[in-house]
Amino acid sequence: MQVFKDVAARIQPQPLLDWKAQGKPVVGYTCSYLPAEIFHAVGILPLRLRGIETDGMDIGDVYFGPFICSFPKCLLQLVGKGMYKFIDGAIITPGCDSMRRLDECWRKAGEDYEGVLPGFYYYFDVPHKSEDHGMDWFIEEIEYLIAEVEGYFGVEVTDEKLRASIAEYNKGRRMLEAVESMRADINPVVSGADVFSATIAGSVMPRNEFTEQMAAWLEALEEKPPLDNVQKRVMLIGSISDDLELIKLIESQSGALVVSENLCFGVRGEGRPVDETGDPIKALADHYLGESICPRMYGKYKQRLALLKQKIEKARVDGVIMQNIRFCDLHGAENALFERDLEALGIPCLRVEREYGPMIDKGRLKLRINAFLERIGRRRARQVAG
Amino acid sequence: MRAEVKEYNYDWMMGSITEAAAKLPAGSQKEADLSFRYIPYFRYALGALLETGPPGVQFLKMLSHYYKNITTAHDQGKKIVATTFCSTPLIFYAMGLVPLTFEVLTAVGAMVWKRGMFDYMDYGCEVGMPETSCSAQRGSLGAYLAGLGETIDFIVCDSPGVCDTNATAFAFAAEYLDKPFFQLNYPSTIGDERSQAYHVEDFKAMIGFLEKQTGKKFSYDRLESYLKEMEAQDAITADLEDMLLLVPTPIPPIYTLMIYAGRFCFAGHPEYTRMLEKLRNEAQKRMKAGVPGLKAGVERLRVLMCYIDHYTVDMNFYNYLEERGIANTGSILTRNFRDNNPYCQSLEGSCYGVDTSSPEAMLETVAQMNARLPMVRSIRGPYDQHGMWLDECLALARLYNADCIIYNGTSGCRNTWGMVKPFARDIEKQGIPVHIMYDDAFDDRVESWEASKERLDEFFTVRGLL
Ligand code: SF4
Ligand code: SF4
Repeated sequence: MQVFKDVAARIQPQPLLDWKAQGKPVVGYTCSYLPAEIFHAVGILPLRLRGIETDGMDIGDVYFGPFICSFPKCLLQLVGKGMYKFIDGAIITPGCDSMRRLDECWRKAGEDYEGVLPGFYYYFDVPHKSEDHGMDWFIEEIEYLIAEVEGYFGVEVTDEKLRASIAEYNKGRRMLEAVESMRADINPVVSGADVFSATIAGSVMPRNEFTEQMAAWLEALEEKPPLDNVQKRVMLIGSISDDLELIKLIESQSGALVVSENLCFGVRGEGRPVDETGDPIKALADHYLGESICPRMYGKYKQRLALLKQKIEKARVDGVIMQNIRFCDLHGAENALFERDLEALGIPCLRVEREYGPMIDKGRLKLRINAFLERIGRRRARQVAG
Repeated sequence: MRAEVKEYNYDWMMGSITEAAAKLPAGSQKEADLSFRYIPYFRYALGALLETGPPGVQFLKMLSHYYKNITTAHDQGKKIVATTFCSTPLIFYAMGLVPLTFEVLTAVGAMVWKRGMFDYMDYGCEVGMPETSCSAQRGSLGAYLAGLGETIDFIVCDSPGVCDTNATAFAFAAEYLDKPFFQLNYPSTIGDERSQAYHVEDFKAMIGFLEKQTGKKFSYDRLESYLKEMEAQDAITADLEDMLLLVPTPIPPIYTLMIYAGRFCFAGHPEYTRMLEKLRNEAQKRMKAGVPGLKAGVERLRVLMCYIDHYTVDMNFYNYLEERGIANTGSILTRNFRDNNPYCQSLEGSCYGVDTSSPEAMLETVAQMNARLPMVRSIRGPYDQHGMWLDECLALARLYNADCIIYNGTSGCRNTWGMVKPFARDIEKQGIPVHIMYDDAFDDRVESWEASKERLDEFFTVRGLL
C-alpha cells in the first residue's frame, strides 16, 4: 500500500523515475477516454497527467483566461515549470472546453518555454455520443492514434499485443472491483483514501508493477480487521479530483468514511473489465466510450443517476458529497440534478464548489463537511432509534 | 425570484412589447412621442430601429411574429422545440415546428429592460445551474425553468463539441423540465469528408427524433422550398457583405444585428427575405448617394467583433459605435459562410453551397450549413488550425479593412476564455490591435456598461485609433 500512497502523492514518484532511468518512453494523457492499453502494448508508459504540487498560477494565467477550471491551469503551470519535461508525448482529449483548450495553451507555452512541448503531441477527438456513427468515429480515432504512435515511436501495435495488455489491465480492474466490494461491506476494512491512492497509482505507475502491488495489497486486506468507528458512510462525486487531501479531510472527521465514489480519477472507469475475446479495438471503444458515465455524454443523465443509486445502495451510503471545481459546468449542473433527485429519495446531499490545487479553501470545506456529517449523524441516530 | 416578476408570462410580455413597438410607426407622431415617454430604457433601441426606416419596421414585425408563433403554437396544434442560435431553424420549420431559441429571447429581454434578464438568470442558479454558466442561455431559460413561458415540447441542441456550457444548459433543461432531448455533436474538424459524413449521420438521426416527437414524416419538399427561399436570402446577404467592404460603408452598425437576428429566427422564411430586401434597398440608396451608414456621416474607425456584440440595456453598444463614428464590420454571428460571399475567396474550403437536387443533397446542404453557423464553425477544434478562428479573423480583418479586433463574449464562455489570450497575441503579432472585453454581453452586473465603455475608449486612445 505504501507504494500507492507515495505514487499518488507526487508528480514524479520513484517507479516513474525508475522507468525513465531505463530509457523507456512515457506518454501523458489528460482524460479517462484514452485507451491506455495502446501504449502499454508497446512498452510505453501511459501517464495520466495530474495537477498536484502546483504552487502558483503565474504561468497558467498567462495563457488561460480568468473563467476557466483550475485543473487544466494547474497542468499548464506544471508544464511551464518543466515538471513534465520527462514525458515523450502528450495526448489532449476534448473532455471539456477547458481541457481541450489546453491543446493550444500548451503549444503556445512551448513557444515560450524551451523543451516543455513533447515531440509527440496529439489531439484525440472523442465524440459526445456513443451510438452508431459516434462509435464508428471513436474506433477510427483509435486507429488513427495507433498509426501515429507506430509512426513516431517505431513500434507495431498488433491485436495480439493489445489483447495481452487488455488482459493485464483487466487484472487490475478486477482487483479494484474486489477492493470496492470490501469497501462497500457493512464492516469495511479499507479507507477511501487508500482506495483512491490505489486507483490513482493504477493510472500513473507501470501497470505490471501496479498489478503485482495490487495483488499483495488485496491479500493483506483479506487478513485485515474491520475499521473502527465507521458511523457516517459517505460517497464523493463530481469534478476531477486526484488530490488525496479532499478525501483525507472528509475521513479525518469523526466517524466518516468514504465508502464509494464516482470520480474520473477513481474507480469510475476502472471498475469494469474490457472484453478480452473479440476485436480488441472494438472492445476498447466499447469500454472507453460505450460505457462512459461522465456528464460530457449529454442526454444520459438518467443512466448516470441509476448508476449512482446502485452504488449508493451497494455501499450503504448515508450521504453524498458533490463537489465541483469552479467553472466546471458539466459537474456543476449535474450535481444540482443529482441533489434534487437523491434528496427526493431521502439521501442527504452536500453540494460544494471548490478550486483545484492546493487546498486553499480547506477551512471552508471542513466547516461545510462537518455540518453535513452532523446532519447524517442525526439522521442515523433517528433511524437507529426509530 | 421577485414576486412581481413571477406575475407575468415572459413570452407574453416580450410578445406584447414587440407587437406594440411594431405598430408604433402606423400611428400618429403624437402617439409615438407619448409612447416613447413610457419606455425610458428602451427608447434608444426602438428609436434606432425605427430610424432605419422600412427595414427596422419589418424587423420589429418579424420579432413580434416570432413571439406570436411561440405564444400561439399549441393553439395551432404545433409543437415547440427549444434550440440554440447556432442551429438553423430552417429544418424545424420544414417539420412544421415552432423553434424557440434561448439566446435570441435572452438578447431581446436584455436590450429592452433596465433590469435586464437578471431575475431569470438568477432563477436558473436557484434551481441549480452554475452561476458561471453562459448567460445567453441562462437568461430566458430561467423563465422557462420557472414556468413563466410557453411549455416547451422537446429540446434539440448542437453545441456538444463546441460549447460545454451551452450543451449543459440544454441537457439540464431537458432533465429539469423532463423533456425529450437530442444533441447534434460536432467533431473538431470541418470541411473534410469524414466530419461531413458524421454531420449527415447526425442529421439523419435528428430527423428520426423529430419524426418520433411529432408523429409526422419529414417532408423534403418543404425543406426544398425553405432552402430555395434561403438561396434568395443568401444572395441579398452577399450584396450587403459587399457593401460592408466599402470604406466608408453605407451599412449602419445596427444592420449586422438585424441580419443575424433575422437569420436565427426566420432563415428560409419570406418575411426575413423582405427585411433583407429592405436593408439592401436602404443601403444601396446611401451607397449611391455616397452617404456613410453612420448617423454622424463620418466613419472614423472600423472594428471587427471577433466574437459577439454586446446586448445589454437599450442597445447601448450600437449607440456607442454611432456616437464615436465606428463602423461595425460584423462578428462571427454575421457571417453565414455561403460560397457567394466575398470572404470565401480568402478562406478557401471554409464555405458551402446549396444543392436541392435530391433529398440526400439537401441533407448534405443542411449539414454543411449548420456546421458553419456561429460557434459551431469558428470555435470548434484548435483556433490556430488551418482555416479556423485565427485564420478567419485575420482574413476578415484584412478584407473589411478593420482597424482593430474586439473580443466580447460572456463570462460563461469556457471555450473562448480558454484561448483568447494566446489568440489575441497571435493577432497582435500580425499588426492588428486587439481588445479583450472582460464583461458579459448579456449581464451588466459582471462589468457595468459604463466601465466597458471607458475601457473601450481607453483602448482606442492608447492604441492611437481614435
Ligand atoms: S473538472 Fe470539469 S471543467 Fe475541470 S477539467 Fe474536469 S470536466 Fe473540465
Ligand atoms: S457565447 Fe460562449 S459560452 Fe455562450 S453559447 Fe456561445 S460558445 Fe457557449
